[in-house]
Amino acid sequence: MPLHLLFKSLQRRKVVTTLLLVQLAMTFALLLNSILLAQQTRQQLQQSTGLPLQQTLQVQLKPTTIALRQYPALGDLLTRQLEAIRTVPGVVAVAYSNQGPLLQGGNNGNVEDPDREELSRANAVPLYTVSADFFNVLQLQVLAGELPQHEIAVDGVAKSPVVITQSLANKVFDDKPAVGRLVNRGPVAAVVADFYGQRWAGTVNYNSIQVAPLLGVDWGYSLLIRTTSDSTTKVRQALTQVLQQVDSNIEIFYIRTLAEQQQLLYSNEFGLASLLSLLSALMLLVSMISSYSNAYFHTLKHQQEIGIKRALGASKGRIFTELLSENWLTTALGAVAGVGCALVLNQVLAQVISIPSLNWWLPLLTCTVLLLCVTVATWYPATIATRISPATATKAL
Amino acid sequence: MITLTNLGKVFRTELIETHALREVNLQVNEGEFAALTGPSGSGKSTLLNILGTLESFDSGDYQLDGKSVKGLPDAALSKLRNEKIGFIFQSFNLIKDFSIYDNIELPLRYRGLKAAERKQRIEQALELVGLHARRDYLPGQLSGGQQQRVAIARAIAGQPRILLADEPTGNLDSLMARQVMELLEQINRQGCTILMVTHDPDQARRAGRNIQIIDGQLHDSTMYDPLAQHTA
Amino acid sequence: MEQLFYYLKVSWFSIKRAPLPYMLTVLILSLGLGVFFSNATFYYRMNSDPLPDKSDKLFFPMLMLVPYQCSDCKPPPVLSYSNVAKLDVSTIPSAKAAMYSADGYLRQHAAQPPTPVTVRITQRDFFSMFDVPLLHGTIWADNQARDELLLSKATAEKILGRTDVVGQQLLLDDRLFTIIGVLDDWQMLPKLYDAYNRQYLNPVEDVYLPLESGYDYNYLSSTNSSTFDDADFRKLATDGRNKALHQLQYWVQLDTPAQQQAYRQFMANLVTDEKAAGRHPSAEANQLVMLRDIVRYFGGESADIKAFAIVTLLFLLVSVFNASHLSLNRYLSNQYEFSLRRALGANRSQLQMQLLVDMGLMSTFTLAGAAVIAYGCTKLMNSLWPANHLFAGWDVQLMLALAVLTLFCSYLVTLYPSLRASFGSLNKQLKE
Repeated sequence: MPLHLLFKSLQRRKVVTTLLLVQLAMTFALLLNSILLAQQTRQQLQQSTGLPLQQTLQVQLKPTTIALRQYPALGDLLTRQLEAIRTVPGVVAVAYSNQGPLLQGGNNGNVEDPDREELSRANAVPLYTVSADFFNVLQLQVLAGELPQHEIAVDGVAKSPVVITQSLANKVFDDKPAVGRLVNRGPVAAVVADFYGQRWAGTVNYNSIQVAPLLGVDWGYSLLIRTTSDSTTKVRQALTQVLQQVDSNIEIFYIRTLAEQQQLLYSNEFGLASLLSLLSALMLLVSMISSYSNAYFHTLKHQQEIGIKRALGASKGRIFTELLSENWLTTALGAVAGVGCALVLNQVLAQVISIPSLNWWLPLLTCTVLLLCVTVATWYPATIATRISPATATKAL
Repeated sequence: MITLTNLGKVFRTELIETHALREVNLQVNEGEFAALTGPSGSGKSTLLNILGTLESFDSGDYQLDGKSVKGLPDAALSKLRNEKIGFIFQSFNLIKDFSIYDNIELPLRYRGLKAAERKQRIEQALELVGLHARRDYLPGQLSGGQQQRVAIARAIAGQPRILLADEPTGNLDSLMARQVMELLEQINRQGCTILMVTHDPDQARRAGRNIQIIDGQLHDSTMYDPLAQHTA
Repeated sequence: MEQLFYYLKVSWFSIKRAPLPYMLTVLILSLGLGVFFSNATFYYRMNSDPLPDKSDKLFFPMLMLVPYQCSDCKPPPVLSYSNVAKLDVSTIPSAKAAMYSADGYLRQHAAQPPTPVTVRITQRDFFSMFDVPLLHGTIWADNQARDELLLSKATAEKILGRTDVVGQQLLLDDRLFTIIGVLDDWQMLPKLYDAYNRQYLNPVEDVYLPLESGYDYNYLSSTNSSTFDDADFRKLATDGRNKALHQLQYWVQLDTPAQQQAYRQFMANLVTDEKAAGRHPSAEANQLVMLRDIVRYFGGESADIKAFAIVTLLFLLVSVFNASHLSLNRYLSNQYEFSLRRALGANRSQLQMQLLVDMGLMSTFTLAGAAVIAYGCTKLMNSLWPANHLFAGWDVQLMLALAVLTLFCSYLVTLYPSLRASFGSLNKQLKE
């Protein structure tokens, strides 16, 4: 059917068509932004963390008595815990740390070159106090210098050496070699590969690590355990009992793989993306119902017309395509209006959450999805239309 | 041109079977103007629908131009209808939101003619029915007689071999009915075969041949001399 | 009454004639309303005012009294002990309390396994300022350090099995404390006195301890603390009191605009004096934030809920459009019957009455559907955003709002079709 006649056919159902168009446009807008958000969340979850996510377990725990939370009883507790965990079959390496990686926020502070304070300062850098095996557990590659082998207290007379990640070294020392230089936390002993520290911090790959005894753990601490790839589950199941046997005066908050920890880090985004996707699916369903009922009632109302067309030589296939193309046209019009709506919605959403802006191919993809759904929804009514007997329909009066 | 051999049609519901047509044998030759008459419910319209391939039949055979239409797929039947048969209905059956021009154009579009040819044919047809000036009107803006003339224009624009008219003057007053009849006769003279269902004995007489159906059976077939009648 | 039943019967017949379009209309409307409502619940509760009489009288003063220079910084969201001491000398506020929260382990005796508890470490005015109800006992006589604590009702029941426990002793982190009071049921939602970093989403604390004792016993803040010099977190009693170790919220009650103005002046003078004395280098950046504005001030509004609110509103709109579309189609196919009734002498008001009954019936079904869907959706949102779970509750007011909204949407959905059906040209409709 030529376009102007299709338009005419839409025009005579002004109210119904307008209602349908508005819906389609809104559905399009929501669908588009949901895809954008889902895409962003996916990218966030897939960004490289520089960490062995699957085989590393993190136990977050805290002693329940004051004595055990402070040095030296704490040091003894840690030694016993590490030793006990090392004996669990499947454990490759274990270390303690005041905090784990992949956190929202935590213990952090400024790191700077004391000679160029303001210029070199990196704000809110996660500060880790760890045992020497920390680097081995997280498989952090040493890029320069040598890792400290012994714990040196951070409040001692001799400064505890600092290991920093590459991007932090580049920031503080302006891309010049860092090993042997001094930062406000101590002398730089080594530079290691980047890994994901804290999301809250400006740059997630800035990290500053000191191999030192834990002096107090009022905020709890982490045990990081790397396992062989096939024994993560087994080790995880054994850990609670092993730790309880070492000393029962502890509270274990959670045991997670770093992969789970990463998921949790983006759980809000994941939640929103899930909800939006669900809502988009519902909206698509609603649009499909609309297209269906639109085509269905149209067929009922225009039986005679369809009969006349059949009598004049329109084949069933032709009637079928005519009905579908009417809905395709509506959908296409809805999609055009939808691009506008999507832009507005994108702007509005961008004021409350971080959402990427529209690109050129997403509208096309969305339009295809919408067209597909509309086609499915119109299929049945269009089939009914082809069954209208021209003989009966033309006799209608 | 049209050959029906032992044609039968049965309508079935759960409870009853109605034989709308039984053992109908009919031969219509090229250029004939035949009237199909008979009481209500006798099967006239069913026969016309079958002739127009709007309805299927249950037994016998129907040959159009020497070829059987039995068992032809929908697409072939539609093509046949579109190219060889023109319809004129009692209730005009124009599409009310389409302009006169668009209405006439519809079957030509189905045939896939080029725009220029469509235009030429539509104009010819409109010229013939005398409604050239109203081409952009909507059907609702025309009188009944004018609407029927549009329907005739639509039917002949495709230059069909056969014109099937189902009580074409049934909804018209006598003046308009006469105009429509004259138009049909003019078309017939140009070589188009016409089969027309009618209740009106006068009109039946004006046709060259009267085919009577009673209870689904072809009863009588009287030949008139249309030209003699017409000039009388 | 008999007439009403008749209308209901006619409505019912009309539904039965075309049940699918009707069900779809109700389903779509329920979906739109249910989804919208579940999110609106969170939105409404998170933005509700827990202290409507006082939320414009309680203020959080924040100052740039820090040993570093920053030209256009916001002051730190928590104060140091010495900052609070300087503010505390003012007699302008009618009540004032410094506070922070910590974690602890509570047990009746050393043999019992410890129960983790949250502790609010605060001063005596806290209870009157935030309308905290007391079930048994008293609060501290003054703001001095003392080994006395108050328990929430639930904690008393959990640890001791009953609430009338004033005078009993408990071990909090292995130190012996005497219970001097038990709070009545109390849940300040949102918990605005501790709003930074979205802490307002959390429940109120289990145990209440004097501020001075908290510093003496080295309870570190469990939410947000920072130092701006070399203060040692492990020496709260000394470094915590003297150095720039920030971890305190501080609330003052200023009942009149005059008091508020006077307090602002006091803060300005304080900062000027301190700067003159060389104790801080930065320019003045004083803030006196009202309780009801505190979440917005800290930028802690729930962006997800807000974003989802925009989207669910859109969805509701689409649903209403869709339902109108469906119901229009339904009415158009029933139009013949309508016109026939009119031809038989039914007047328009009778038809309108019929349509009103239709609408009532639809509202009822929709309300039921929306409630079920909203319940499911709330559950889903709780599982996806567990941090917000305290804000999922419905009350009478919310339910009434849903009912009104449903009625309104049903009205919108039936309005246009009914006008079409009852005011169209009778002749034309019958002919069609």
